[in-house]
Amino acid sequence: MIEVHPFLAPDFQSKEPRELALLSIVSQSFFQPFSVQDNLLVILTALTSGSGVGFNRAMFFRADGDILRGELWLGPRSADEARTIWEVLSTPGLGYIEIIEHNRWLLSGDADSLSRRIRPLAYSLSADNVTVPVTAAARREIQLVRDASREPLVDPRFLEAIGVEEFLCVPLVSQDEIMGLIVLDNAFSRQPIAPKDVKLAGLCGLLAANYIATATLHRRMVDMERMAALGEMAMFVTHQIRNPLAAIGGFTDQLLNAPDDEAKRRRNLEIIRREIRRLEDVVYKLAHFLKVDPAKRPEPFDLKLALKSVVGAMEMKAAAEGRTLSAEIDERLPFVRGDATAVGEALRNLIINAFEASPPGGRVDIAAERRDAAWVVVRVADAGPGIPPEAQDRLFSPFYSTKDRGMGLGLLYVKRVMDACGGKIEVESAAGRGTTFRLLFKSQEEGRADA
Amino acid sequence: MKRILIVEDEEALCLLYAEELSGEGYDVTTARDAEQALDILKRERFDLIVTDIRMPGRDGVELITQIVGLRRDVPIVINTAYQSYRDDFMTWAADAYVIKSSSLDELKARIRELLAR
Repeated sequence: MIEVHPFLAPDFQSKEPRELALLSIVSQSFFQPFSVQDNLLVILTALTSGSGVGFNRAMFFRADGDILRGELWLGPRSADEARTIWEVLSTPGLGYIEIIEHNRWLLSGDADSLSRRIRPLAYSLSADNVTVPVTAAARREIQLVRDASREPLVDPRFLEAIGVEEFLCVPLVSQDEIMGLIVLDNAFSRQPIAPKDVKLAGLCGLLAANYIATATLHRRMVDMERMAALGEMAMFVTHQIRNPLAAIGGFTDQLLNAPDDEAKRRRNLEIIRREIRRLEDVVYKLAHFLKVDPAKRPEPFDLKLALKSVVGAMEMKAAAEGRTLSAEIDERLPFVRGDATAVGEALRNLIINAFEASPPGGRVDIAAERRDAAWVVVRVADAGPGIPPEAQDRLFSPFYSTKDRGMGLGLLYVKRVMDACGGKIEVESAAGRGTTFRLLFKSQEEGRADA
Repeated sequence: MKRILIVEDEEALCLLYAEELSGEGYDVTTARDAEQALDILKRERFDLIVTDIRMPGRDGVELITQIVGLRRDVPIVINTAYQSYRDDFMTWAADAYVIKSSSLDELKARIRELLAR
């Protein structure tokens, strides 16, 4: 017998032990592809929701180098608001998604007046700063503060901002590095903070710290990858430019040194012309590559028309090179969304690639049709040798090319164009059986149905 | 007459180097890739080898290691568009590292120096 359980089933209203409910909420932040901000929100939600730890408000300070800065403060703004929210949140069947949605609204724009109160707060994390709440982070200790106004170590600006006598400071520490600080209180219920709450908040702090550490590490990795790609680009471009320059320089010097050598004159000039064209090509491709603007709003356009225009131009090239280009374009093709010029250029790229992969006299097939109600598919298929699996993994990496003089930008360009219009690119290739690229566009009719 | 082997995948540059170094009074042989170069090296003796680094097929860095294994006594000049390989310890086996530029003066000067040793 096989018993099936939902993978994620956090239910805020369940009568599960609080620890378990808390764990399942916080685990969401490790599981969901949310932004860092959203995941912090999940953790703060876990600390403030009724079936989580149940604090009234949660404040998050981020460690930024040696500075601890106020960033987010989640909770009702007044006792009235607190009552309303608690009523809403006790609606039976309300899931964590709804609560997080509600909290996201709390932290957005005008609603977020709490966070604005703590954003001016910034503290040095140095050892000689002995004010609360900094010491909780700096000394890595959980501090429960009572009678705050009578405690000289509490920073007066902080006290003014939080406006309560009792609060809990939980340091966020991961691998001995301070990631931040969470401050919790029960401003509206006025319930004293119990030892059990302290324990649960500590556990939450550990999870939050590790989440932030992982997220930070991930961002650093992405940055490093970008830098590496940039370095590779610089190296590649250098190579693409230095070689033609060396040829142009060398053959020009020959002309200058022996101006009367008639035989060399024409040949050298021809070489120089060719190399200049190569340089132009490098500049063109780079400029083009850098031009795709993912932020540009894709607009509906007639894909059928764009296809026909590209195919028309490419048929001439095919004929000149003794190749066959066949196209089957569905006459009832719906409009799709994208940047028409960029899509045309992307198609041109794919067709040229297909030509170059084909044997002499080879045939390239293009087909465009509706895949289903939502998608339109354009296929470009060649009968070339196919792409080996190890190369398939790298096809869309910048400056990766299987061609001797390839810049490694063509397919990346196509992918960027497709990404920019919310489309997809797929590749299917088998040794000896050729390669098929599929471009998937969102049908504009579907878009209308959405609206 | 001193014999030089040029390993260069760029057609135009191959021609340029062959003409220019012949003009300097060397006996020049060219190879368009590392495989071809190793083939020639197995049959013939040279006084100096000029090679690029990044080429299709077998890499120039790999080639240098093999040349050093094959002909320990032959000076090698790396002639490349890439600056960064200077830091690659594999290229330290070479006797000179020249960055390709629009002038052949440096390449010619290095070759002269190495052959005068």
